Amino acid sequence: MVLKNKPLGFKLSTAWLSLCVLMATLGWMLPLPKWNSSDADALGVTMFSKGHILGTDNWGIDQLSAMIHGTRISLGIAVVSVVLGAFLGAFLGVMAGYARGWIDAIISMYFNVTLAFPTLVLLLALVAIFASPDPFNPGTTLPRMVVLTFAITFVLIPFLGRLARAATVSWAGRDFVLVAKSLGLKRRTILLQHIVPNVLPSLISVSFLAAGLIIILEGGLSILGAGGEPGSSWGSLLARNRGDIDLTPHTTFIPVAAIALTVMAFNYFGEYLRTSIDNRDSRI
Amino acid sequence: MSDLLKITDLAVDFDTSYGRLHAVRGVSIDIAPGESVGIVGESGSGKTVFSRATMGLLRGSSVHRTGQILFEGTEISSLDSKQIREYWGTKIAMIFQDPMTALNPVRRIGAQMSESLIKRLGMSKSEAKDRAIELLTLVKLPEPELALEKYAHQLSGGMRQRVMIAMAIACNPKMLFADEPTTALDVTVQAQVLELLADLRKELGMAMVIITHDLGVVAGYTDRIAVMYGGEIVELATTTDLFTDTKMPYTEALIKSIPRVDRKRGSELSSIEGMPPDPTKERASCGFADRCPYAVQKCRDEHPQLVDAGNGHQYRCFFPIGGK
Amino acid sequence: MAGTGKAHLRDSPAPILRVENLVIEYKSGRNDPVQAVSNISLELHDGETLAVIGESGCGKSTLGKGILKLVDVTSGSVVFNGVDINTLDKEALRQVRPNFQMIFQDSISSLDPHMTVGRIVRQPLDIWNRGEESERDAKVDELLVSVGLDPERVKDRKPHEFSGGQCQRISIARALTLEPKVLICDEPVSSLDVSIQAQILNILQEMKVRYGLSLIFISHDLAVVRAISTRILVMYLGKVCEIADPDTLCDSPRHHYTHALVSSVPVPDPTVHRHSAILQGEPPSPTNPPSGCRFRTRCAAATELCATEEPQLRETTPGNYVACHHPRD
Repeated sequence: MVLKNKPLGFKLSTAWLSLCVLMATLGWMLPLPKWNSSDADALGVTMFSKGHILGTDNWGIDQLSAMIHGTRISLGIAVVSVVLGAFLGAFLGVMAGYARGWIDAIISMYFNVTLAFPTLVLLLALVAIFASPDPFNPGTTLPRMVVLTFAITFVLIPFLGRLARAATVSWAGRDFVLVAKSLGLKRRTILLQHIVPNVLPSLISVSFLAAGLIIILEGGLSILGAGGEPGSSWGSLLARNRGDIDLTPHTTFIPVAAIALTVMAFNYFGEYLRTSIDNRDSRI
Repeated sequence: MSDLLKITDLAVDFDTSYGRLHAVRGVSIDIAPGESVGIVGESGSGKTVFSRATMGLLRGSSVHRTGQILFEGTEISSLDSKQIREYWGTKIAMIFQDPMTALNPVRRIGAQMSESLIKRLGMSKSEAKDRAIELLTLVKLPEPELALEKYAHQLSGGMRQRVMIAMAIACNPKMLFADEPTTALDVTVQAQVLELLADLRKELGMAMVIITHDLGVVAGYTDRIAVMYGGEIVELATTTDLFTDTKMPYTEALIKSIPRVDRKRGSELSSIEGMPPDPTKERASCGFADRCPYAVQKCRDEHPQLVDAGNGHQYRCFFPIGGK
Repeated sequence: MAGTGKAHLRDSPAPILRVENLVIEYKSGRNDPVQAVSNISLELHDGETLAVIGESGCGKSTLGKGILKLVDVTSGSVVFNGVDINTLDKEALRQVRPNFQMIFQDSISSLDPHMTVGRIVRQPLDIWNRGEESERDAKVDELLVSVGLDPERVKDRKPHEFSGGQCQRISIARALTLEPKVLICDEPVSSLDVSIQAQILNILQEMKVRYGLSLIFISHDLAVVRAISTRILVMYLGKVCEIADPDTLCDSPRHHYTHALVSSVPVPDPTVHRHSAILQGEPPSPTNPPSGCRFRTRCAAATELCATEEPQLRETTPGNYVACHHPRD
């Protein structure tokens, strides 16, 4: 249907991401052991062993089950933070870019100050402040994953917002906006009907690329110890299992492969969108 | 008669996602020393591609160029980029529409001019500076010594164009290739620049090729004019003949559609309906047939070749105006 | 060469639009504000085409936008139907807008790239709730046909699929949807090929007659303007130099700048030589205009008077005015 005339990369990326989404939403129905329960009879077995298609790690945790759970967490963080970040970032960025003046000054200052901090350091700080110190027992403080999601959103807002602002400034200078004003359109209508639909495509394109980055970021934070409950996401799986790469190499490579494939798929869509926008906007 | 520049059957094709695009379909033209020739065409006529191809500026695997370009008898169309620079930019000067792109925005004018003089002509620093001032005076730039210290963005459009002309003639070229030199300028500045070019031509004995869409510009400053349409030359004649003895209906229609400041108003401007022919298609008919008021069946069935009417007047039409 | 001067404004017959003492300033960094439009007055009569001619930096484009209040106006009045638009509040100004429309030089940039042509032309009707759905569609079709486009082939396509000339036609169709009284055209044909220019100019003439429009035609091209206008107003550095009918202005210009302008226009006729008045020098910076007559620094006939006193517009022959202390004969 939609896939008819698209290039191979498009089909592959769609297939992989669809699989991920499927696993994330319906994977719990599969008859697999729980993602954090160990099977004492099958410690560190390789892939394609009986009962464990993707093998187990040194604690006997079924890797397929762990990966499926990880999909939900990793993808969840990526999607939620990107969607929230893009929405809020676009809102602030478009307002700043169209209104200019003091509104722009304040919003831009917020953007620039936030972006001035090294991302990783900022995220670590936010997790340290707001999340519980013990990832296994959150207690009354917020669980790590939730804090992580909001922290990443917080950092994404200025990143995507600056883009939205720049795009808005560029589109707002075009003649068709003057035409809209001359037709007596109110400012809000101009923004919604004319500016936003033109800013959106490039914003979405970058959002895809950002999603890929977030997956990697989450992995990095897990390795640094700031991730959620160990083994709950791809990144934390990787963090936990990389020490056993000599004994159970598949437990490292499987999360790495998943991360790589997902990031490539996101990147592909981002690039694809970008080139189709460029093609539309430039004429021979 | 030894031609300065002799172009034979230049054709340029591009590979695009729409198919093979025939931008220039076999153009031949000779320029004699000291002569001024105008190449006129609208968008889609192929004049820009033609001029870029001649200057050796079209590169890339999707560009297919055939034909011969001889400068003073030497074949220059298949030179590599280093050798090409010995001709284009040195023996043949080039000036373009947008001087901002020809001038380096982060270097002062004086530095840029001296650099090319030192590199190309082997001058010393002080010699180059003197020559730069000499050149800027030649192009009538006010206060040349001060101009040397300025950056490109500090000068107005007309002044930048003069600087570009100064840099172009620095090596005493035999010919000047001007690609839409005044299109981006105000009309009063355009008049200044055109007068300047005419004076320089006389002083330095240069030949000149002007590529433009403006028939008015070429009418006053050229000896001969070539009209391009759909990738080919459709009429080539002395300037006087082109206007007084127009043979190709496209040229006639073009001249009639130009509003004139010296004619009274009242009559409706005649326009040319329709659009230029599709460059991706092979041409089995006359490219202008769909839009020509005189077209008959033959024009749609056959592709006319260039006919020589004597006196160097060539035209591409089966039924020229005023008979054959 | 001055703008202060209203000698050319008349009260009867009443003009459809009267601009008085319009000043449009904009800030330029830390320097003094620049007056892009410096005290300009003009009138537009019913059914006429008033051309505003000038080179880059003269303020003609800003003038056009200022009249429609698409840019902030520093002072002055713009009176339409007895009401000064400049004094209206936001909502009242909105209500007046359908009477004025504008078309721009960059025809492709004037159309929202993500909307279909049909929607673009229909938009004014949707905004102002004119007519029923079916009536609106019919109106869109009618307008597209009148500008020479086939509705079935263009309505569902996007602007980037069309050429510059076709986009300009679409812009014209859109501009006429609300049947405005005044159409301001800002260099509408400057970026089009000559043969397409003629097409668009003819369409504008046709539409003017059919819809009873009055036009303000802003351009830098005297030849184009001579062909289609009823009066020409020449601007230089924010001021008015001369106002005259096209034949008088082009055949016997009184102002020295107009004379230079007319002489500089290239004529597609090798037998015509027009190099009589090549202007020397460059236009001065608008941030620091010359005192008195702004053109005096490039004028061969300038005297001390020109430096001390700004010339006012004076009538030379009936209906024609020039702002110069020593106009040409």
